[in-house]
Amino acid sequence: MLGCLAAIWVFVEAMNASPSNAARIQKAALATAGLMIAAWILGGYWYVHFYPAEKTMILKGPWPFAHNLFMETKEHLFFATGILAVLLPIATREKLYANPVARRLVLAVSVMIAITGLVVEGAGAVIDHGVKVELLRGPA
Amino acid sequence: MNPATSGFTLAAAVTILFNTALAWAKDTYAPLNSFMKAMTGHHWTTHGLADLALLVGLGLILTKTRAAEKIDPARLVSILVASVVAGGFGLGLWYVFF
Repeated sequence: MLGCLAAIWVFVEAMNASPSNAARIQKAALATAGLMIAAWILGGYWYVHFYPAEKTMILKGPWPFAHNLFMETKEHLFFATGILAVLLPIATREKLYANPVARRLVLAVSVMIAITGLVVEGAGAVIDHGVKVELLRGPA
Repeated sequence: MNPATSGFTLAAAVTILFNTALAWAKDTYAPLNSFMKAMTGHHWTTHGLADLALLVGLGLILTKTRAAEKIDPARLVSILVASVVAGGFGLGLWYVFF
């Protein structure tokens, strides 16, 4: 979520690109990349080591789609978010205030990071609920 | 745009489509999933490393050869957006129907 906020920060700064905020745009883009890479590593560690137990619960519960649709999509869509986050600091090295196409690229990349990141977050909420509905069902 | 921006933008578009295609391939061909699991202990870890290797490798090659600069920069932005839309919906619809 912090990565999404940082991407929105880049978007707003790029909307008002000028020589005075060029360095700030680059810092915000680096923050976006750093936060998304941290999410990739930390979220990935959680997913690989702790999610299998939750997956088992979800699949035997009333919401198997929480894994079959939402987790399967989330775990692969996040890679697109990460790829865009790596691209962002490279794109912000351009003089955005003087290059309309580069500015459009940065606007597009930052908004796509925010949108795909929010979709991933939303899917996470459904997955959590998939575990919860199984726990609430109690022992059979 | 400078060669690195053009090169890595095209590399990102290709990698995002590759990411979706690899997800489909893992789902339809179990030996591939098993092979990827054997490589790092988890198919997702291998998948992420393959994406990163393609992004960095292709990005560096396209930057050095300046191949992506032959594409109109505005079109390059459109290609990237189209790849994210196609890759994203490609994943979502795949898991809805398969």
